[in-house]
Amino acid sequence: MKTRNPFAQFFGRLLSVAALALVLNAPGKNIQLLNVSYDPTREFYVEFNAAFANQWKSKTGDTVTVQQSHGGSGKQARSVIDGLPGDIVTLALAYDVDMIAARGKSLPPDWQKRLPHNSAPYTSTIVFLVRKGNPKGIKDWDDLVKPGVAIIPANPKTSGAARWTYLAAWGYVLKSGGDDARAKDFVAKFYKNVPVLDTGARGATTTFVQRGIGDVLVGWENEAFLALKEYGADKFEIVVPSTSILAEPPVTVVDRVAKRKGTETVAKAYLEYLYSDEGQEIAGRHFYRPRSEQIAARYSHQFTKVSLFTIDDLFGGWQKAHQTHFADGGTFDQIQRQ
Amino acid sequence: MKNHRRIALIAITGLQLSAAGLLAQNSGQPDITELLRRIEELEQKVKIQDRKTELEKEAGVEKAKTAPSVSLGSGGLQVRSGDSNFVFRLRGNVQADGRFTVNDPDGAVNDTFLLRRVRPSFEGTLWGNYDFRIMPDFAGSSVTLMDAYADLRFSPYFSVLVGKTKSPFGLERLVSQTRLLFVERGLPTHVAPNRDVGVQIRGSLLDGQLDYAVGVLNGTPDNGSGVSDLDDDKEFAARLFAHPFKHAETKALRGLGIGIAGTYGDKNGSAPANYITVNQQMFFSFNPGVLNCGTHWRLGPQAYFYCGPLGLLAEYTVSSQELSAPGAGTREIQNTAWQAAVSYVLTGEDASYRGVTPAKNFDLSNGTWGAWEIAARYGELDIDNAAFPVYANPAASATKARSAGLGLNWYLNRNVKAVVNYNWTGFNGAVTNPARVAAKDEHAVFTRVQLNF
Repeated sequence: MKTRNPFAQFFGRLLSVAALALVLNAPGKNIQLLNVSYDPTREFYVEFNAAFANQWKSKTGDTVTVQQSHGGSGKQARSVIDGLPGDIVTLALAYDVDMIAARGKSLPPDWQKRLPHNSAPYTSTIVFLVRKGNPKGIKDWDDLVKPGVAIIPANPKTSGAARWTYLAAWGYVLKSGGDDARAKDFVAKFYKNVPVLDTGARGATTTFVQRGIGDVLVGWENEAFLALKEYGADKFEIVVPSTSILAEPPVTVVDRVAKRKGTETVAKAYLEYLYSDEGQEIAGRHFYRPRSEQIAARYSHQFTKVSLFTIDDLFGGWQKAHQTHFADGGTFDQIQRQ
Repeated sequence: MKNHRRIALIAITGLQLSAAGLLAQNSGQPDITELLRRIEELEQKVKIQDRKTELEKEAGVEKAKTAPSVSLGSGGLQVRSGDSNFVFRLRGNVQADGRFTVNDPDGAVNDTFLLRRVRPSFEGTLWGNYDFRIMPDFAGSSVTLMDAYADLRFSPYFSVLVGKTKSPFGLERLVSQTRLLFVERGLPTHVAPNRDVGVQIRGSLLDGQLDYAVGVLNGTPDNGSGVSDLDDDKEFAARLFAHPFKHAETKALRGLGIGIAGTYGDKNGSAPANYITVNQQMFFSFNPGVLNCGTHWRLGPQAYFYCGPLGLLAEYTVSSQELSAPGAGTREIQNTAWQAAVSYVLTGEDASYRGVTPAKNFDLSNGTWGAWEIAARYGELDIDNAAFPVYANPAASATKARSAGLGLNWYLNRNVKAVVNYNWTGFNGAVTNPARVAAKDEHAVFTRVQLNF
């Protein structure tokens, strides 16, 4: 290609200088992630995001900003299916992520195998938070269904915590030797004592703690600890029932979104960091039960020992539990119609 | 909520009265514990009602978030689905010009008022990542389809644009017509392609520091737009544009952009473009029967620099095409053009490639005057000497046009702009026919009032 004018040479040289400057001057990238999570993880992820951003910056030079979106777990899953561009979901239960995989086609069906412990880096359980002095004398699940006790859970149609709560109550009856019929009757009585159903766990906490409604909040263990920490142990106390359910909130990358945004590597690293000592420490500090035995031992003093059953033990996994209890026309709907 | 409280107060008062009644009837001790229990029970009922009302309101707000929204503002009319996946925008611009030639006593060039552009634009997004745009132009004697494309944005690094839009080449050509520094683009644009139909792959790399575009297009003559293809050959276009200091700590360097663009393709049997001045008058034309008969390539290094109110823009373009003339062989004709422009925003707003946004809109009642910008440029378009006399008549066409311009831009607000330009063009060559534009220097004053939304 011939060019007769010296301008072409001048611009060519200028471009070379610019290209060199671009390479030499190339600063770290600015990366934005969106973590779509359930209600009570706000405070945990604020601290975790900062720790991860520091770690990632020192490792790669890139600046990661993680935005958070919180709400009832089921509601959040629907938002992702409807197009909320979460790079990562950290939801309350595996069924909600299964829905994103099945309906949103955003990740493979075997997503749970991608990270240790079925992609649940921390666990929790369902406990009771009562007003100081425990005026209604609530000690176990049976006390909740007595007449005159007002229970505050969230709505199982929209909240992960509420589904764990529902199944914990049902499982208590089964574990006590009852059958499904008795369990259904028990859970029906439970919901008869519920004056308000919030869409998410954080809303239920607001109802009980801030609005002063009800005698007992039934929900996440970490949320109960957080209420104690924030509002004072002189106002509330935690009651741990004899039996409860092992809640395993899962995490995963939403492949379709991460691929589109080019954030796959950092999103994967973010979730892996949840399993690191630092990630497990932060989980423990926010009253989640760490998976790491070493870190869990360090935080064991804050958790009362409780007999825990899993969803697989009593309900055959989330898919079956959902169909039986929470799908349209399931036992929860039947109870609500009574 | 107030109603609930009122009901509760009435109920509590009622309770107190009944308690007093009980006291009177039994003339014994009142059952205070029972009374407190009933008050507490009522208080709970009121709180529950209040909370339910609160939750209903929250649900209403959430529902409103998913409802479609319609908005009207400086960006036009916009309809957006609740989840923002579907967007439709109605935008448009009108440019009303006055064009006056100063040294034209015989009226060879008409002084005129002109609707330069009347372009509604229908734009939108489908499923979050698939954009479209349809933009006709109603100025002129017939309606012209300027843009009609779908842009499939698979990622920030990679999108596929299919349809008709600007070829990825000229720096000034790629500026939106509503954000031009002068009423008309400078001379390098006249040897660059305009709009063309085809496929372009585009993206932004290195955190926005490097933009790229490559395309396969039908191919157009210089400054030409195409709808139908005149031959089987295609034109390949590519452009790299870097902002090497985009994230630099030194703010002054961030506004540097530098790039290079090129096109390459064969053209056969079509007429090459004639060239016009900045004042839109033809100063060079090929002889009748001259046709493209081979490779047509262009190369365009380009750069701009913006720092606060100061703006600099420069580009250089070579357009080389193989031409044939009746009775003569094939020859490569290589025409070149360049320009440099400088602008300064007098009111202190930042200058940018994408125009100026006034800090304060023009408003007489508040004594604010919008943004004011001055601009100057110089450029040349040099015709290859090999074109004369076989391919062009030296008595009718200039060998070079030299153009200088001064401009004053008044941005009344984001949507209204008034412009006045003075343009001079001088010519090299041996044009003797006084009826020809290139026979004498050209002096023109252009004015424009532009509305865009």
